[in-house]
Amino acid sequence: MYRRSLWPILALPGVLWLVLLFIVPFYAVLGVAFGTVDPILFQPVPIWNPLEWNVGWLTEVLGRLAPGGIWFDVEVRTLVYVLISLALCLLIGYPVAYYTARHAGRWKGVVLILIILPLWISYMMRMLAWVNLLQQDGWVNSVLTFTHVLSQPRDWLGGSASTVILALVYGYIPYLILPLFASLDRIDRSHLEAARDLGASPWYAFRKVTLPLSKTGILGGAVLITLPMFGDYYTPNIVSGSPKTSLIGNQIDLYFHGGPQPTIGAALTIVLAAFLTILMLYYLRSIHRAQREGGTVGAL
Amino acid sequence: MTHHPKERPDSLSRRTFLLRGAGAAVAFSAAGPLLAACGNTTNVAQSTGTGGELVGPGGLPLARPDKPVTLPRWEDPIASGLQPETGGTFTVFNYPAYLYRKLLNDFGARYNVDVQYTPFDNVNSGIQRLASGAVAPDVTNITPDVLDIAVAGKLIKPLNLDYIPNLQKNIWPQLHSPFYDGESRYTVPYTVYATGIAWRTDKVTQDIAGMDQPWDIFWESQAYEGNVALLSENRETIGMALLRKGITDINTEDPGLVNQAVSDLKELYGISNIKVGDLQFQTVPEGSSWLNQAWSGDMIAGYIYYLPKGTPASALAFWKPPHGKGPIQNDCFAVCSSTKKPVLSHLFLNYLLDNGVSYSNFVDFNGYQPPLNEIDPSTLVQKGVVPENLANSVLTNDDLGPDSLQYCTLTSKGQQLWEDGYSNFLAGGGS
Amino acid sequence: MTAVAEQPARPQPSTSTRLRGWLRNPWGKPRFLVVFTWAYIVWSIMPVAIAVLFSFNATRSRTVWDTFSTRWYWGDPVDSVWHDPTLRHSLVQSFKLAGADVLIAVPIGVLLAIGLARWRGRGSGTSNFIMLFPLVTPEIVMGVSLLLVFSHIFTFVHTGTLAQILGHVTFSISFVVVIVRGRLFSIGSQYEEAAADLGASPFVALTRVLLPLLTPAIVASAAVVFAISADDFVISQWLSSGGPTDTVPIQIYSATRAAPLPSVNAIATIMMVSTLLIVTAGFLTWRLFTRGERRQGKAAEDFGGAFNIT
Repeated sequence: MYRRSLWPILALPGVLWLVLLFIVPFYAVLGVAFGTVDPILFQPVPIWNPLEWNVGWLTEVLGRLAPGGIWFDVEVRTLVYVLISLALCLLIGYPVAYYTARHAGRWKGVVLILIILPLWISYMMRMLAWVNLLQQDGWVNSVLTFTHVLSQPRDWLGGSASTVILALVYGYIPYLILPLFASLDRIDRSHLEAARDLGASPWYAFRKVTLPLSKTGILGGAVLITLPMFGDYYTPNIVSGSPKTSLIGNQIDLYFHGGPQPTIGAALTIVLAAFLTILMLYYLRSIHRAQREGGTVGAL
Repeated sequence: MTHHPKERPDSLSRRTFLLRGAGAAVAFSAAGPLLAACGNTTNVAQSTGTGGELVGPGGLPLARPDKPVTLPRWEDPIASGLQPETGGTFTVFNYPAYLYRKLLNDFGARYNVDVQYTPFDNVNSGIQRLASGAVAPDVTNITPDVLDIAVAGKLIKPLNLDYIPNLQKNIWPQLHSPFYDGESRYTVPYTVYATGIAWRTDKVTQDIAGMDQPWDIFWESQAYEGNVALLSENRETIGMALLRKGITDINTEDPGLVNQAVSDLKELYGISNIKVGDLQFQTVPEGSSWLNQAWSGDMIAGYIYYLPKGTPASALAFWKPPHGKGPIQNDCFAVCSSTKKPVLSHLFLNYLLDNGVSYSNFVDFNGYQPPLNEIDPSTLVQKGVVPENLANSVLTNDDLGPDSLQYCTLTSKGQQLWEDGYSNFLAGGGS
Repeated sequence: MTAVAEQPARPQPSTSTRLRGWLRNPWGKPRFLVVFTWAYIVWSIMPVAIAVLFSFNATRSRTVWDTFSTRWYWGDPVDSVWHDPTLRHSLVQSFKLAGADVLIAVPIGVLLAIGLARWRGRGSGTSNFIMLFPLVTPEIVMGVSLLLVFSHIFTFVHTGTLAQILGHVTFSISFVVVIVRGRLFSIGSQYEEAAADLGASPFVALTRVLLPLLTPAIVASAAVVFAISADDFVISQWLSSGGPTDTVPIQIYSATRAAPLPSVNAIATIMMVSTLLIVTAGFLTWRLFTRGERRQGKAAEDFGGAFNIT
C-alpha cells in the first residue's frame, strides 16, 4: 500500500500546480468569454456555469473573423505570414539539419553546438540585434549600397511585410532545426544503403527513404514554431509598428491592454486556442500515420 | 542632477494607459460588492449635475466641459484646523516614476514620516487594488474618467479645501472648480497636456502651422512614408480624424461619425504606411520618426532627454490646435479613504501645488507640466529650460477655457464603438 | 549506383579526401550543404555578435564603431546599466524571477516526472496529457488566462513579482518533466528493483538510488529553466505591474521600438552571457555524469532536447 501510494504523492504537487495555474486559468478565460458585462460598471462579469453561458461575444468575434468582418484581413495576413515563414524555415532548416545529421563528420559536435546556441540567446536580444542592423544607417544598408544591390538605403523598419517575415524566420527557426536534426539523425543508415544497393539514385533515395522517415521531425518542428507564431504580437511591433503588418495577436493585446472589453479579447483567445488545438490534433494524427508509413519503408 | 532619463518611457507611456482609460472606465469584481453596498447611501439624485441623460460608471451622470457635474459627498470632510499626524509611513499611490523622489523625501523630513511610493501600472488596476483593499495608501493619482467609480465606491475622501490654499493661490482659475469635479470636492489637478503634432523641421517641408487644417498633414505625408506615426490610443487617434473634418464633439457616440473617421484613418496606410506607437518623445528627437501626433510635453522631454548631440533644437517643432479647437487633458490627486493620516494627506496635496515643489517636479524630473499660474513660456525660454521654437509646447491658462475639448467618459455603448473602431484601424486593411 | 553522393561515415575520411571527392563531383550535395550550413550559422550568430560588439562602443551609436569602452556597462554616470536604475532594476527582476523559478519548478518537476513515470495507477495518463499542454500553448493564451484568473478567481494575487513567478513556474514545470523523464527511461528501473530486493523501502530507494542517478538531469533542467525564464517576454509582460517589475526582455522590447542606446545592448549582453555560462555549466555537468553513455554529439543533442518535445 505504502509502495503504491508513494508515486501519486510525488506527482501531487505538480499536478495540483498545473490544475490550479493552467486548467483553472483557462476556465477563467471561458468564464469571461461566455460571461456578461456589468452595464453600469462596464466590468466583465464571468459566468462559471456552462449551462448559462452567453455566446454573444463568441458570435461577435466569429462575425468579425468572417469574410467582410473587420478582422478578416488581419486573420488572412496572420495565416499568410505564418505559412510563408514556416515554408522559409523549412527550406533553410532542412538542409542545415540534414548536413549536420549526415555529413558533418567530425565537425558534428561543433556544428550542433553552434546550431543550438541561438536557443539560449533570448528572443528579444536577437530582435534587438536585427533592429540595429536594419537601421537606416545600419550595416545591412551599408553593405547593400556598397555592393550596389541598392542604389540608396532602404527603410527596412518602415513597416514592410518582408522585414516582419524575415524577423519571424530568424526568431523561430532554431526551434525547428533541432527536432528536424533529431529525426534525421535517428534514421538508420542501413535503409539508405539498402536503397543504394537496389540502384536508387540519391534523389530517389532521398525522396523515398529520408524524407518519409523525417516526416515526424518536419511535422513536430512545424507545430513547435507555428503555434507560437500564431500568438505573436511583439515581433511586428518591434520591426514594423504599422497596422498593415499587424497580426491577430495584436488584436488580443489591444483588447486586454487597451480598454474595457476583455470579453472580446477572451472570446478571440478562445477561438485562437480552439484553432491551434485542431492543428495539434491533426499533427498527432499525422505523426501516428507517419510512424506506420515509416514502418513500411523500414521493411523495404 | 538627478534626472533618470530612462525612466522617461515609464512616466510618459503611462499616459497611454491614462488615455486608454479615458472613457474606458473599468471596474473590477472587487469593486462590485463595494459599489452595491454603498448604493443605498450614495444617492444619485443628490448629484447636482446638469448632464442628466448620459449615465456612466457608478450610476453617476457623465460630465462634459459644457455639462459640469458636482459629485455628492459621501461623508463630511475632516474639520478645519487640525494638527497633521506625524511618524510612521505615508504612502503615495501613483504611476511608476511619475513624481520626483527628492520632493517626497523633503516632505517626509518635514513631517517626520517615511514616504513610500507604490506604483500602479494603470489607473484602472489602481482602482481595483484600492477597492480590494490590497493597498492602503494615503493619497493617490486619479484621472477624471474614473472619478465616478472612486466616489461611488467610497475609495477617496471628500476634501476640506481649507488645508489646500495653494489650489486657489497657484493653480489656473478654471481648475478651481473643474467640470468633472465641481467645487473640487474630491480632487486637485496634477498635470495638464494638449494633443498636437510634432515634426522634424529638417525632414518635413510643409508649413504645418500655416496650413488651413494642420491635421491634413497626415493625409499629405507621402514623402515621409515609413516615418509617420499616430498615438496608439483609440480616443486620440479617432478624435484626431474627427477634428480634421471640423467635428469638435470628440465625445460623440454617433456610429456614422466614428466609422467615417476610421475609414479616413485607413486611407493613411496607402499614403505613408502609417505607424502607431507611444514613444514619440524619443523617436522624433532621435530621428526615426519625422511626423508624429504628440502630446504637448513630448518635445520638451525629447529636447531635454533624447535630442542627440549635434542635432539643433530647431530641428524639433510642435503645433497644437488653437484655443478651443483641440483636446486638453489633465490628471489629479486625491486623498484615499484608507488613510490613517487624513490631515497630513491634505497637506500633501497642498505641498504638490506649492509653486517651488510643482515647478521642480516638472523641470527636474517629470517633464509633465502642472497647471501653475506661475509657469509661463517666456520665463522657461529665458531660463533655458525650453528652446524658443518649442515655447508653444508650454500651456497657459488661456489654453484651457470653457470651450476646451476634452476626451470624457463615454457610455458603455460609446466605449465599444470607439474601441472597435480603433481595432478596425489597427487590423490594417487588405495588403 | 556509384554516383550516390552519400559519404559513408565509416571510416571517417580525412578532410582532403572529402575535398577531392567534392571536386570530382561538384554537383554532389555535401559541397552545397557545407556552404549552406556555415552560411546559416554565420547568419544566425553574426547579428548577435555585432550587437555584443556595439555594447562596447564608446559613442551613442549602434551602427558606427568608435573605440572600445565599458561606458555602457558602468562608465556612463547616467545611462549605463550600473547607473540607470530602470535597467538595473530590470536585471535584478530577471534574476529574481529566474532564481525563484529554478527553486520552485525543478523540485516540483522532478517529483512529477518520477511520479508519472513510476505510477501506473489510474489518472496517470490524464496527468501525462495535462503536463504536455503547457509546452505547446502559445504564450499569449497563457498570459491571457493567468491575467484573468488573477483578476477574477485568485484575486489575492496581484500583478507583479508574485504573479510573474507563478506564471514562470507554470510554463517551466513541463520542461523539467521532459528532461527528467528522458533520463528516467535511460536509467530504467533495475537499480531501484535491486535496492528493493536488498530491503530498501521505496523512499530510501528514491533518495539513495534514484535521485543521485538523476543528478545530471536535475542540473540540466535547472539550467534550462533558468534560460527559459530569463528569455521569457510574454508572461512577464502580461503579469508585470510596471516599473520595477519589468524584466530585461521587457526593457529590450520597449527600447527597440524607439531608438535604444548601446546600454540596451549591454544589458542584453549581460543576460546572454549569464545564461550561456549557466547552460554551459549544466551541459558540462551532464557530460561528466553521462560519460560512457554517450555517442558523438549525443550529449549536446540530449541537452538541447529540452526544446525537442516531439
